[in-house]
Amino acid sequence: MARKLLLAALAVAVVGALGAGAVFLGLFERSVVAREIEQPLSAEQMKTLAKRGAYVAVAADCYACHVVKGGAPWAGGLPFETPFGTIFSTNISPDKEHGIGNWTRAEFHRAVRDGVGKHGHLYPAMPYASYRKLTADDVDAVYAFLMSREPMKVANKANHLPFPFNIRQGLTFWNLVNLSSDTKTEVAGRSALWNRGRYLTDALAHCGECHTPRNLAMGMKESAYLEGAELEGVMAPDITKAGLARMGFDPLVFAGFMKSGISAQGAMTNQMFEVVHFSTQYFTAEDLAAMSAYLFDLDKLPERATPPAPPKPVAVSAEVAASARASYIAVCASCHGMDGQGIPHVVVPLATNASLRLADARNLNKVILTGIPAQRFPGLERMQPMPGFAGQLSDREVADLSNWLRANWGGQQPNVTAEEVKRLR
Amino acid sequence: MTIPTKQLSLTINDKAVGPIDVPETMMMQDFLYEYLNLTGSRMGCGQGICHACTVVLEKQDGSLEEMRTCITGAHWFAGRKIRTVEGQAKRDANGAITALSPVQQAFIEHFSFQCGYCTPGFVTGATVLLDQLKRNPVKREALEQVISDALDRHICRCTGYVRYFEAVRDLALKTPGLVKA
Repeated sequence: MARKLLLAALAVAVVGALGAGAVFLGLFERSVVAREIEQPLSAEQMKTLAKRGAYVAVAADCYACHVVKGGAPWAGGLPFETPFGTIFSTNISPDKEHGIGNWTRAEFHRAVRDGVGKHGHLYPAMPYASYRKLTADDVDAVYAFLMSREPMKVANKANHLPFPFNIRQGLTFWNLVNLSSDTKTEVAGRSALWNRGRYLTDALAHCGECHTPRNLAMGMKESAYLEGAELEGVMAPDITKAGLARMGFDPLVFAGFMKSGISAQGAMTNQMFEVVHFSTQYFTAEDLAAMSAYLFDLDKLPERATPPAPPKPVAVSAEVAASARASYIAVCASCHGMDGQGIPHVVVPLATNASLRLADARNLNKVILTGIPAQRFPGLERMQPMPGFAGQLSDREVADLSNWLRANWGGQQPNVTAEEVKRLR
Repeated sequence: MTIPTKQLSLTINDKAVGPIDVPETMMMQDFLYEYLNLTGSRMGCGQGICHACTVVLEKQDGSLEEMRTCITGAHWFAGRKIRTVEGQAKRDANGAITALSPVQQAFIEHFSFQCGYCTPGFVTGATVLLDQLKRNPVKREALEQVISDALDRHICRCTGYVRYFEAVRDLALKTPGLVKA
């Protein structure tokens, strides 16, 4: 009997090991790249496609990650601090040694859509789980555009990943769990505008990579699609229809915000500043409308703006109000105004600010502590730097201030504690 | 209509000031000007950018910090100690100046300023920097960068920054203990 059990256990172990081995070898990987992509594009096709590819690459926000400030264009090198170690973006200029100059059309397609590059598996910091939904035409266009750039002789940086995360082939397991072979974004019965918006949101602009929380397998959690997630210590907010309305957006204002990065709801900060800077400011009016229509789940945009009603203030204790008001006058009011109105073209308003309306107070607290650098926005707009007040305000004062601001203008419960603020320092 | 006020006491240039009734929403710069006639800190941008309005905050542990008076409420300074540009030089019992501070002297010797509007802020900023160097000396090769990082937020529109920079660098090198070998 015992022997039989042992044999059975051994058999399970062997099958398991064989299965894991098969996964590791990539036997279960399903490419979504069609066979005809093996056929190279003609010089004529490449030329025509490159022009359109410039816009597709902007919409897919490739550049933001594949360049470093002051670095060679498309030569990569941007660090990504992940829970597993640091990964650097790569050189995707057409340099034959360091870039993708020797990559065929099909190799490029497989890297972008399957996450399997010419030299092995890509890390999912490259959003191939989203790019998988790109059309072959759009991937061709980006390929042709990149191949038309100047080759940059810049070597790729080595990733800092400990074992076993440094074994690229291990990504076969992640891919097995997280990559869908259903790459269609189109939904029958919805308008062309809505469908274009979905394609922009899910495939090109890969919004879910940051705004959808990750599941245990570190894939995008479909049941919480776009409901907001933590990213490098800040919250990427909920951008579902309800989430956007909660922040004070209506479809027209939101489309404008993606174009300019500034609205009554505040100015783009952190990674979204880069998204506007490198990508959405160049969106066509149609694409901005489409993205907004999709996120608000509308088949067409309304004619007029219909701002959601401001949140109802929540009461705070007299003690908190007194402490917060004193701090507000001391270090906030001269720029943001006594009534939270801000200064046009200089300082964002607080009374209508989206950060005060988020359920999670972390972004507001962090900004109070560390400030925001000066930022240049499209159309000659420029927001002055906001100083951090970590040195001027105690944990208790920051918590009181945050609670008072959120309760008064954001309609949020005053539940920020001094301990929470301390952890953010 | 009455403006709500609050009593304010603090120490300015080693002298106890107050209690004085000061409007709750008044900024420190206005308090210095309108109540104490201390007009040395300059109102420039009024937005905390140019740093012409800064004063030295003398903290309890003895260290110094630069504070912008145009964007900081007067009442934030309640119970605290500050030094304005008027309090930098040494004075005799009658209030006459007997010696400029080392920073002020260096700026004069280097012809650091022309119109002088930004100078009180630079004096404040450089004084705080030298105090920090005294506590944490830097390596000689890092000095230029440290000066730039500390003072580049101060805006000057006429002489440029070179003479301010040279004055601070010379003073840092001349003063024992600020720069490590």
